[in-house]
Parts: sequence; structure tokens; C-alpha cells
Amino acid sequence: MSTSAAVATAAPAEQYNYDIVKKFSIMALVWGVLGMLAGVYIASELAWPFLNFNTPEITFGRLRPVHTTLVIFGFGGSALFATSYYIVQRTCQARLWGGKWLPEFTFWGWQVGVGGGAILYMLGFTQGREYAEFVWQLDLAITVVWVAYFLVFTMTLRNRSQPHIYVANWFFMSFILAVALLHIFNNLAVPVSITSLHSYSLFSGVQDAMTQWWYGHNAVGFFLTAAFLGMMYYFVPKQAGRPVYSYRLSIVHFWALSFLYMWAGTHHLHWTAIPDWTSTLAATFSILLLLPSWGGMINGIMTLSGAWEKLRTDPIMLFLITALAFYGMSTFEGPMMSLKSVNALSHYTDWTVGHVHSGALGWVAMVSMGSMYHMVPRLWGTTIYSLKLIYVHFWLATIGIVLYIASLWVAGIGQGLMLRAFDEYGNLAYTFIETVTFMHLPYVVRAIGGMFFLAGMLLMVYNLYMTIVGARRTVGVNAPAAAVAHG
Amino acid sequence: MITDVFAWLGDLGNSKQLSLVIFFVTFVAIVLYVFTGKKRKERLESYKNIPFLDDDEGRPVSKDNQGNKNP
Amino acid sequence: MKHESVEINSGLLIVLTLVAISIGGLVEIVPLFHIKDTVEEVKGVRPYTPLEQRGRDLYIREGCYACHSQMIRPFRDEMMRYGHYSLGAESKYDHPFQWGSKRTGPDLARVGGKYSDEWQTQHMVNPQALVPDSVMPPYPWLLSTELDYSDIEQRMIALKRTGVPYSLSEEEFRRNVEEYGEEMAKKLHIPNAKATLEEQAKSRNWDGDPSRVTEMDAMVAYLQMLGTLVDFSQYEEGYFAKFR
Repeated sequence: MSTSAAVATAAPAEQYNYDIVKKFSIMALVWGVLGMLAGVYIASELAWPFLNFNTPEITFGRLRPVHTTLVIFGFGGSALFATSYYIVQRTCQARLWGGKWLPEFTFWGWQVGVGGGAILYMLGFTQGREYAEFVWQLDLAITVVWVAYFLVFTMTLRNRSQPHIYVANWFFMSFILAVALLHIFNNLAVPVSITSLHSYSLFSGVQDAMTQWWYGHNAVGFFLTAAFLGMMYYFVPKQAGRPVYSYRLSIVHFWALSFLYMWAGTHHLHWTAIPDWTSTLAATFSILLLLPSWGGMINGIMTLSGAWEKLRTDPIMLFLITALAFYGMSTFEGPMMSLKSVNALSHYTDWTVGHVHSGALGWVAMVSMGSMYHMVPRLWGTTIYSLKLIYVHFWLATIGIVLYIASLWVAGIGQGLMLRAFDEYGNLAYTFIETVTFMHLPYVVRAIGGMFFLAGMLLMVYNLYMTIVGARRTVGVNAPAAAVAHG
Repeated sequence: MITDVFAWLGDLGNSKQLSLVIFFVTFVAIVLYVFTGKKRKERLESYKNIPFLDDDEGRPVSKDNQGNKNP
Repeated sequence: MKHESVEINSGLLIVLTLVAISIGGLVEIVPLFHIKDTVEEVKGVRPYTPLEQRGRDLYIREGCYACHSQMIRPFRDEMMRYGHYSLGAESKYDHPFQWGSKRTGPDLARVGGKYSDEWQTQHMVNPQALVPDSVMPPYPWLLSTELDYSDIEQRMIALKRTGVPYSLSEEEFRRNVEEYGEEMAKKLHIPNAKATLEEQAKSRNWDGDPSRVTEMDAMVAYLQMLGTLVDFSQYEEGYFAKFR
């Protein structure tokens, strides 16, 4: 390409719209801290119920959607906007389309949606659909923002100075399309009135359950998996300084994942009042999902093949590769839990919650953190404030995750076994409340695990804050020299 | 005979078997396409270097990096 | 068509990705809207009365579904603990469904009638007073807050639009009389909504104080009817199995 030589010489900050990436990065950190704080608080409420303080706004039931919304859409969503805008510009060598205002609109729209949603849940306004609790007005606003996001992303792709679209952008594209479909169909509802924040879902009962878990499962599949794989396919090679292990594997990975995920949602409804064949079909496809999932994990990890020593010297690499390891682990656990016999025990218990968090903390959060540690210094034209603090963060996060998952295995499997136990006369061996009593200790350990993870997050905020402040101080003096100085 | 086939295809209840077949054929086609042909291999694998093209830190050097930079 | 054209054509990439991600969802969900067998034919299931529906709204407002399921699975232990397994038909007027995904507390699909109104009210105000090891948050404000039912007609009209057979016209009312009996049909008649809501709230001592209509009245009324609509003694064993 004749243009690429010219492109490379232009300063990246002028060539690309970094301003919007910076904004989303900062908000990812803000929502991350708030969302994880809410998570630690509700985990503590389960361990020590007095923390509900007879206050409606902070009871478990109202704070739980605050937690899920802030971490998934606030932290995860903002991190995805930031990295997708960064990656699409750099792999297309084209400035973000839409001028200044359209990307800006996606930024403010998204933040208002997330923040407004969280405040409204605390005030008691919710649709009562897991991970889609936003009131109908916000649903409409989010749809508009999403269309703008789609336009910005697609038009940037069209303006690329490369003939080929890099695979990371494929994953982002399938994420944008799938989330649009899911969001629209799962939120079909009839408002009580134009001025009312309340609405009733268009579907009911069986059909509503199928729609909701088609949404719920694929929100995981496309929001929390496909999009973060896009992140992985860019930042793992960049941080490793070597191209991805196999590009052809990544193509197969993409199509297999895009196709298979949508079939598996019904495994959230095993043994409920839905037809059996949907359950069986979903379980089959859930097992098949193991293949693309592990294909992707292997592709990511093998990128380091021949350069394993980087794991000893580079804590950012440690974050990215550990994230892939957790991805591999939870995508093995998931299909196993989708088997109807295992699901009979695990469903409704904390095993599911633990599984979600091994994916959410281990994969989603850690790959985002690694990517942010890579990206933030480059956005501000500097180097990271402290590599040591990244190491400390890594260990805090890892210990936190291990405590969290292990305690909920105990709680979930323990409760599942107690609930189905019979005494010698064929009566139920335990009352429900006996299982609650049993779960107290695991709940305490889980809350502590969450505190570890939150502490790591706070450390990251401090580290990146010092990085940005350091960059601002040296800016205009001699940026490249400053970059070397920190080490 | 042939109308039976159409009737089967038109029945919504059979949609899952049908789409399974379509999916499987498509998937196998993609895999075959991607993993056959020496030239295609070189072309596809060359794309892995795209993230490094605009690098402000210089292109990485690695031995499995044989793909030509850009067609 | 060469895969290469997908790689270099963003429009084609969009279309093919859409196709790939749509198929699974369509195959799983669309048949459920067509196949009649999905939902059992069973007598007794009716729409919620205005008071019960407001109770249900509060159940959603407080996020009860985060800890309580309303879906009993066909296992020996669950049926001994909670009762007959849940039927699809029993939630056919649930907008949205509240099957839940987690049991931090017990399943509530058939909690109706298991405890007295008084127990439910006291338990809601202070769960630990009745169940010391419970981790449920207290909900004292339900007892102290007057129920807002100013928009009950609008709510029922919205539900009617989604397909719930509340009646607006005389003709619809008469159809409900045939289907649910005169007494119930009156409660499902939208023009009567406010009056029947008050009447039901005062008909029974839900929260211990019949003089006011509180949120607790609505909540207890909702909980006490959960899972009570179908009379399972009327059906042969195995009747429901053929719908699964």
C-alpha cells in the first residue's frame, strides 16, 4: 500500500481519534471500581444480612442489577468501546468515522444509559429481566446509541487503507450485530403509558423465558466472549511483539463461534416447563461450543510459543495469558454444566454464580486489564508508571478469583447435594434453611475473594492515574525521552 | 415423491434438522477452504501482520513470520 | 464465492455474520410460538386480579427474582419440598416470566397457602425474627407504604395489549364470565379495577390492618395465590408428561 508508509510517519495522535478512546478508557475504570464495589457489597449482604440496613435502595434485590449492569455494560462495555475504536483505527489505518460528534454521542449516550439505569434500579424501576433490567425509555436510547456505534465502526472499516479486514474487527462486528438483535427482541414490551417508566414484556411464560435466555446466554456469547476475543486477537500479538499463532485458525474460530453460540441458550432452562427437544438441542450445541472456544484459547496462548520467557518478565503478558487460561477453564466448565444430569444439581445454586465469575473475572476482566495496561500508556504517549504494581495487581486478582470460585464450588455443590439428600425413611434430609446456614462460611470467603479483586482494581486505577499524570507533566518537554525514563 | 421432500422442507418442525445440515455443510466448506492450498495459506497467514503495519515501535522479527507483508 | 471477498468486503461480512448468528435463535424460539403443545391445556389458570398484579409489580421492583425461583423441576426432592412440578400454562399470564435462575431462598412457585397471611407479613418485615439464619433482607417499608394504584387501569390495558384477557367491553366481560365465573370476571374487568382492588385488599386481613391498602396487602395477596390455580387432583398421573 502506498499510503501506509505515509501513515506510519504521521503522529498517531493526529492520525487517529484517540480522544474518544481515552474517554471510554477512563469511564471503564470508573464503572469498574463502582461495579465491583457494588459486587463486594452484595456479596457481603449474603454473608452478613444486617448490611441491608432496612434501606430499600441498597437491599440485595435492587443492588444486584446495579452490580451486573455496572460491571457488564459500564466496565466491560466502556472497555469494548475504547478498545474497538482503538483497534479499528489502527488495523485499518483510518481515522474514526463520524467526525468528532458521532463517536462523542456514543460516549455520552452509553454513560447516561448505564448510570441512569443503575440509579433507576435503586429507586425500584426495572423490567425484571436479568441483565436487561433497563426501563423501556433507556432501552430505546441504547438502541439509538448502538446504531450510531454500528455506523461509526462500519464506516471506519470502509475507509480502511488495507484491503483485508483484520480478524479482531470481525469479532467486534459480530458482537455489534448480535447485541443489536438480542437487545431489540428481548426488550419488546408494552409501556404502561408514555410518561410511565413501567412496561410489560410482550411475551409471557414459556416464550418469554426462551427469549430472555436466548438473550442472556448470547449476551455472554457475544458481549462477554466474541468482543473480548476481538480484544485478545489484537492485544496479545501486540504485547507479545509477534503475530497470532495461526490466522487460518482464527477464521475458523470466528465462524464456528458465531454460528454455535446462538443455539445453546436454552441450557439455562433445563428441566423447566419448556419442550424437552429444545433442552437436548441446546446441550448438544453447548458441548460443540467447546471446540471453537478451545481453538481460540490455543490460538491465543500459542502466540507466545517460543517466547515463553515473556511470562517471567512481562506482567501485562501474564494478565493476557492468564485470562486465556481462565477462558479455557470456564468454557470447559460451561459445557459440562449444560449436561442435563449435571445441570440438575448445579442449576439454581451458587455453582452457576461461581462459573459466571470465573469467566467474568478471570477472562473478561483480566483480558481488559491487560489490554488497558498496554493501551493507556500508548494513548498518552508515555510508559506505565509502575511495572511492580502490575505484578501486585496480578496476584491480588488471581488470589481473589481462586477464593471466589473455590468457595462457590463448595457452596453450590454442597447445597445441591444437601437439597437432594434423603434420610433412611425416604424423607428430605435437610430443610432449605439448613443449606443456607451451611453456606455462610463459603459466602464469607467469597466476599473476601471479591475484596481482593477490588483491591487489585483500585491499584490499577492508581497506577494508570499516575501514568496519565506523569504523561501530562512531561508533555511538550520531550515525550519520547519521557517514555524511556519510567522504565 | 418430490412433493414429499418439499412438504418436509416446509414444515417448521423440521427446521432444526435442516439448518443443522446447512450449517454443517457450510462449516466443512469453510474449514476446507481455509486449510487447503499452499498459496491460500501464505496469503491468509500474511494477514496476521496487519496489527504491526502502522507500528510506532517497529515490526517484530520472528522466524514463523514468513508471510509477505502485503499482496 | 471466495472467502477472500468476505474478508475484504465489510457489507458481505455483515450479512453473512447476521445469517450465522440468526439461525440458532430462529430454530430454538420460532417453533415455540407455533406449536400448540408447548403449553398444556389445563383448567384454572386465570389472569392476576388488580391487587395480585400490583403485588407482582412489587415483587419485580424489589428484585425478588434474584434469589427466588418460580419453577419447580420434576425431581423427587423438589416435588417433596415444593409440590407438583411447574407447568408452562401456569405462567402464561406472566409478563415478564419470573422463573428465576438462582435459589438463594426457596422456590416460590407454590408458596401460596403454605403460610398464614400473618406469617408472610411478619416474615417480610423481619425475616430473621421467624427464621434466625435467614439471609433475606427485611422489607418493612411494604407495610408502611400505601399502595399506589392510581394507574391500575393503564397497567391492565397494557397487559391486555400483550394478550392477557382482561375485559374492557361488555362482550369481553361476558366471555370472562363464561371462562372464569362471574365473581372473578368482575375482578378482571378494567373499568372496575380500582373498586375491586380496594375490595380485595379489605376482604381479607392480608397485612393485619384492613383500614388501609398498603404495598404489603398486594404482596401477600400475590404470594398467597402463587401456584394455587391448578387443581392437580383432577388430572391423571402422567397427563402432563406428554407436553414435555
